[in-house]
Amino acid sequence: MTQLAAQFETGEGARLPASGSPPPWIRISGVEKRFSSRSGEIVNALSNVNLYIQDGEFISVVGPSGCGKTTLLRILAGLETASSGTVHSGGEMVTRPRADAGVVFQQAVLLPWNTVLDNVMLPAKLKGDASAARVARAERLLDFMGLKDFARKYPFELSGGMQQRVSICRALMRDPKVLLMDEPFGALDAMTRESMNMELMRVWSEERKTVVFITHSIPEAVLLGDRVVVMSPRPGRISEVVDIDIPRPRNLKTMGTPRFGELCDHIRTIFGAASQTVSSL
Amino acid sequence: MSRTKSIFESHRLQSILVAVVVIAVWQGACKLFDISSLVLPTPLAIAARFYELVASGTIWPHLWATTVEIVAGFVFGVVAGLAIGAMVSLIPVVERLVYPYLVALQTLPKVAIAPLFIIWFGYGLTSKIVITALVCFFPILVSVVAGFHATDRDELDMMKAFGATKWQTLVRLRIPSALVLIFAGLEIAAVLAVFGAIVGEFVGAQVGLGYLIVALNFSLDVPGVFAVLIVLSAIGLVMHGAMRYAARRYIFWIRRNEAPVMA
Ligand SMILES: Nc1ncnc2c1ncn2[C@@H]1O[C@H](COP(=O)(O)OP(=O)(O)OP(=O)(O)O)[C@@H](O)[C@H]1O
Ligand SMILES: [Mg+2]
Repeated sequence: MTQLAAQFETGEGARLPASGSPPPWIRISGVEKRFSSRSGEIVNALSNVNLYIQDGEFISVVGPSGCGKTTLLRILAGLETASSGTVHSGGEMVTRPRADAGVVFQQAVLLPWNTVLDNVMLPAKLKGDASAARVARAERLLDFMGLKDFARKYPFELSGGMQQRVSICRALMRDPKVLLMDEPFGALDAMTRESMNMELMRVWSEERKTVVFITHSIPEAVLLGDRVVVMSPRPGRISEVVDIDIPRPRNLKTMGTPRFGELCDHIRTIFGAASQTVSSL
Repeated sequence: MSRTKSIFESHRLQSILVAVVVIAVWQGACKLFDISSLVLPTPLAIAARFYELVASGTIWPHLWATTVEIVAGFVFGVVAGLAIGAMVSLIPVVERLVYPYLVALQTLPKVAIAPLFIIWFGYGLTSKIVITALVCFFPILVSVVAGFHATDRDELDMMKAFGATKWQTLVRLRIPSALVLIFAGLEIAAVLAVFGAIVGEFVGAQVGLGYLIVALNFSLDVPGVFAVLIVLSAIGLVMHGAMRYAARRYIFWIRRNEAPVMA
């Protein structure tokens, strides 16, 4: 595991968009999203969003409520179409949900009439493949997330944190290339959240996903991310992309280091600047 | 229904206690105020009359006829409600063109059209089955339509994100989601089925518990009328209980306090 992570470290420099590096896996170019509200006025949810994400990169997205984080993720997931601009993933334009993406929503969104195992199996079943091998993978994922004994239980018999772990297993079921997560740990207490962060880092280092991870928590964004995308509202746009140059593997102790504090403070400053412009409007 | 005394905590015990108290007060009041049995018979008189009706065998053909009407009418009404409800929900044209008329039809008081059904389908069981089916049809129709519209948006997005086809979304998400409201509709229909059969029999019948009530009423046998009412409410309770049981089995994920309201 640590070996995998270390191996991953060596590849880190290659993820910076330099000449000669592999082309980015996800390309977000000039994405705009306008909603027309019921009263007829136009809401600029996203304005000129550009971001290239390398293969295997962990991108954290932070920003105040309503700045368009969920909208951006839904466009990446193919659940929403951009008003203008394009999103490419693996060289193909994203127009509808892709088989190589796994989505974790803010709520666990498990089907209450299915057992935990059936919920994790759902993506496989939708592809018509409920073979023993798939069941074995589902069980392995549950085991991995510490839910081995809950496979035959129903979602309502699980705590919120456990449900969210099930939804992560479900997202990993088809072994997706890209993991899109919308504040997956928002509803969890600080302790559970930290252990979930550790588990997520473990999954990421072992399964080598490209991750877009939305969060409200700046420390969480810094702890997990290779880069932190800071967004600002009205219109929703990227105000800065912060490189997190803290070496991996990281753990909870990382959060006590001076560099960690500096990066968090820096992001907070960007937030402050953004909110000042908002209040001056 | 004192909650403080732990010995009476059990809901079942509480209900029985309430019944015992009500019956005792009823019996006492009838004796105390010397109420004529033509107005309000005592519980004991009703029990005695009930025993007579059963022991003499008088009640059985009526009970059988009404039960057949209720069950057959309920089944036909539910099947039609499910089928047409599904069509209305799944075929937009049907929803646009047909549903408004169905809703308008629903506002007709079914009692008012019962005599027509007697003319069309005769004095036998058929007319009562049709009336019962019609009475059961609407709550099912409405609950199916509402049920299909009640699918959670997040769950729809989730299915879409994992690549579900329309058909898979229907089978794996929309139908199970709709079941919650459909079972609420079934509970209502179960109780209305009894109402439908009796209304039909009131309008014109030669057999059935509704017919028996009219006949007993005519001969001023008020304890007999009450005895039949008890049988009717027992049928209603069984129908309702069966639906509750089915709901608990098939929509087990609904917690008890979220269960349909007609508890
Ligand atoms: N379907 C919609 N119709 C109209 N407006 C919408 C719709 N979805 C989002 N918006 C608007 O777009 C903006 C961005 O919303 P979004 O949900 O992306 O924010 P967010 O950054 O995820 O916020 P939060 O952190 O609170 O989840 C908001 O102003 C919101 O009102
Ligand atoms: Mg959001």
